This record gives sequence, structure tokens and C-alpha cells, in this order.
Amino acid sequence: MLAMMAFFFVPVAVVVLYSFLTGDLFTVSRPVTMANYNDVFTIPVHRTLAWNSLIIGTIVATLTAAIGLPVAYWLHFSAGRWATPVLSLIVASMFAGYLVRIYAWRTVLGTNGVVNSSLERLGLIDEPLGFLIFSRTSVTIAELHLMLPFAVVMLFAAIRPIRSDHLEAAEDMGAGPLARWRRVILPLMAAPLATTWTFVFIISSSDFVTPQFLGGVRGQLIGTQVNRYFRESGDYGRGAALAIVMILFYVMLWFAIQGALKLARLNRIEWD
Amino acid sequence: MNQTRRSRPTLVVTVLALLFLFVPLGIVILFSFHATNSLTPPFEGFSFDWYREVLNDPAIRSGVSTSLRIATLTAVSTLIFGTAAAYGVSRTRGRAGGAYSALFLLPMAMPGLILGIALLSFFSSQSISLSTMTVVIAHSVFVAPVFFIIARTALDRIDERQLEAAADLGAAPGYRFRKIILPQVLPVLLAGAAMAFVISFDEFVVTFFVIGNESTLPLVIFSRLRRTIDPSINAISSLLLFVNLAFWLVALIYAIRLEARRRRDLAGQKEG
Repeated sequence: MLAMMAFFFVPVAVVVLYSFLTGDLFTVSRPVTMANYNDVFTIPVHRTLAWNSLIIGTIVATLTAAIGLPVAYWLHFSAGRWATPVLSLIVASMFAGYLVRIYAWRTVLGTNGVVNSSLERLGLIDEPLGFLIFSRTSVTIAELHLMLPFAVVMLFAAIRPIRSDHLEAAEDMGAGPLARWRRVILPLMAAPLATTWTFVFIISSSDFVTPQFLGGVRGQLIGTQVNRYFRESGDYGRGAALAIVMILFYVMLWFAIQGALKLARLNRIEWD
Repeated sequence: MNQTRRSRPTLVVTVLALLFLFVPLGIVILFSFHATNSLTPPFEGFSFDWYREVLNDPAIRSGVSTSLRIATLTAVSTLIFGTAAAYGVSRTRGRAGGAYSALFLLPMAMPGLILGIALLSFFSSQSISLSTMTVVIAHSVFVAPVFFIIARTALDRIDERQLEAAADLGAAPGYRFRKIILPQVLPVLLAGAAMAFVISFDEFVVTFFVIGNESTLPLVIFSRLRRTIDPSINAISSLLLFVNLAFWLVALIYAIRLEARRRRDLAGQKEG
């Protein structure tokens, strides 16, 4: 029982250790140093990639939450007997495979892809739209595609305790559709929305496979660089330090968001 | 009870989300049947050529067999160790039990990238050479949280009084586990192991860091994706999609029937 936990926590401890050692080719050696952490914050490419990750992670997390919530609402309140088939369909798209889904967007958005060639044939454009592929746009679209099913599942699980009685009560008190969303649904869903947002942000901003196929030069994320240190240059020390800084940032983000919820008194809503 | 509420805006968002999720996958499937090697419209004729090519490709065949081997070993090891872990935690009451649960769920919030580099660092620090075994260990750690959640829900449903009654009649702990707990949770545990199998079969990110000389199917696809756009990738992708969907459908029907049986049993108990 403890063995499985050991295979998670011991390796993480090794990464912490490595981050304070000097990286050689695919190994580390003494002396103990802080140089890796200094490098993390001073190497210019890190800053560019961190910025890309922040922007893409924020857009993807916000869009998945904004799309996932209405879908969860529909599944719970209006779908009726359609709820199970539609939810199953959404979950099924997760099983299409990670690489397959990234690849799908390459055939759709590529220079000779479906979108560009269709627009060209319709005479709407003369040459392929350059921003569609190998850019932040393509990475954002593919991440959205990868994360949306997760968000729907998480938000659907959270919206189920809300009963239509709650909405009817609000309706009886004269709340219109917008007021019902703003004063009933959103406050009750604030905590799960925040959790979903953070989860999607962490996963999408650290991805390195999607940027590799769809990101070109401008759409790379911070995960790309961690991968480069570990798989290409073999500088384990620097890669470990970058990974640790990434984890610390995610942990701080998590606590900041949970803290903000607590301040807004939205973390624990009393039911009924 | 819940009454269905009509909500056109959320219906529209849901339909758009479904289109967004499935149109790219549909395009991949469509062009896997393309008679020429062009991946752009217009569609010029129907053929099974790419499927024939894929099924006769030695690299893909060996990728499939490696993936099957690793997924099977992962499912078995998860079933054994994961069940032990979930059982241990479900027996630990109070605060300690909660802490153990949190420890097990923590890896889920970690991006695969972090788990990958952590295990790579760990294996290299212990001079463990990368092999099938390291991939199986990595996959087992990766799927542990999912299996753990599934196993916990089943174990928590067990009526404490049945165990007490058995103990009063002189049944030893091992006997109680075999005769009372196991028959009730086995279907769910097997479903969890199947889930582990599916995740392991598709897993790319963690595998990428801890694999030795072999290639799993996702790694074979990855190396082809790097080179060029080639319709045989559409055929592999579509095959994977069909297999996964079939697997998912069987699992879904099984889960629905299991739930129906449980409800019937509960109803029967109430009447009896």
C-alpha cells in the first residue's frame, strides 16, 4: 500500500534534490548550488514561455469553464432522457486518444487543412491563413478540445445537487433568467468553477505535446522547456529547478484562488 | 423532484460544444477512407487502402503488442495494489484516513510531465535502466488516483453490520474480506482495472520519459506525426477511436446494468 505512494513521493523528492545539484549530460553531480534557480529566473526564453503559458492557460481555463457550465446546466435541468447519451458522448470524445485529438486539429487547421482549403475554394481568401496553425491560436483551440470534456464532467457532478426548486423559488420571487444565473447558479457553482478553472489551467499550461505539433515557434509553453532539459540537452539540474518553480507556482495559484473564494464567502454554501 | 426546464441558450451551447468535439474527429475518420493520399477536400473516392497498409505495418504491429502487454500488466498491478491501498484506507477511520486519501489523490493534480520527469530522475538516480517494468510502474502510479476513487466508492458502500455479524460468528479478517467484501466490490474493481487498462493504452506523456528501447503504440504514432502528415495516421487514429468507443460502450452498458441490479437488490431488501 505504501509502495505506490513511495513511487510518487520519492521521485518528487529526487527532483527537489536534483534542482540543487549541477547538471551534467543526463546526470547530476555536486556541488550543491542555487545556480539552477538563478537560471530559471534569468534565462530570457523562460520568460517568453512562462508568458505564453499564462496567456494560453488563462484563455483555455476561462473558455472551458464558460462553455462547460451551460452544458452542465443543460444536462442537469433540460436534457431529460437525453442527459445520459449526451454526457456519454462527451466522455467518449476523451477516449479518442490524446495524440489523435491533437492530430485532428492539424488536419483541420493546417496550411493545406480543411479550413484553409475550403475558404480558398470558396474564394474568400487567396492564400492560407497563417495564424491558424503553428501559433498560440492553434494551441489554444486544441487545448480547449482536450480539456472541455473534463470540465463538463466536473461541473456536471457539481451542479447535480442544485434542484429546480431553487430556480423556481427565485422565479416566484420575480427573478428573471439573468438574475437566476447571477444570483443562484453562479454563487452555488463558484467553488466548483474555481476548482475546474485551476485544474484546466494547470494541465493546459504545462502541456508540451500540443505545442510541439501545433505551436510552431510562437506557441510553445513552459512544459516544452522542461522537456528540452530532460530529453534533449540532458541538463537535469536546470530542468528540475524549472519544474519545481512551476509546481510552486501552481500550488500558490491554488491557495490564492481558494483563499479568494473564502474571502468572498463562496467556498461553503449552506444548502436548503 | 426535478422538473425539466426549457433553456434554449444552454441547448445551443451544448450543440456547439458537441460539434466542436466531434467535427475534427469526423474529419480524421472521413479521410482515413480517402482513395488518394491528399488530406484536403474535395473527397475523391473511397478505399480501405490505408487500413490495409496500417494492419500490415510491422512497426505498428509491434507497437500494439507492446502497448497491450504494458496495459495488461498495469491493470493487474493496479488491481492488486490499488485494492489493497483502497481497502487499507477505507479501514482507517477519522483524520488519518482522510490524510491518506489526500495523499493518494495528490498525483492527480500533477501534470503528467512532472510525474514523467520525477520518475525519470528517480530511475536514473538509482541506476535503474528503462524497460517495460519502468513503464508499468509509471503507469500504475499515474492511474492509481482514478482507481483509488472508484474502489473507495465501492468499499464505502459496504454495510459495516455485515462484517460485525461475520466477526461475531467467528470469521477471521481474511475470511471476511474474501466472503463478504470481495463478492460485493469485485465488479467495480474489475471496471476500475479496465479503466486502468484503457488509460495505460493511450498514455503518452509519462511513457515518453520512462520508456527504454521499445515503442508503445502512442510513441509510434508520435514519431510518425513528427515526420509528416500521412493518411495512414488517420487510419490508425480511426481504428483506435473505434476500439476505444467499442470498449467504452461495453463498459457503459455494463455499468448501467450493474446500477440497475443494485437498485433492484435495494428495492428487494426494503420489501423483504
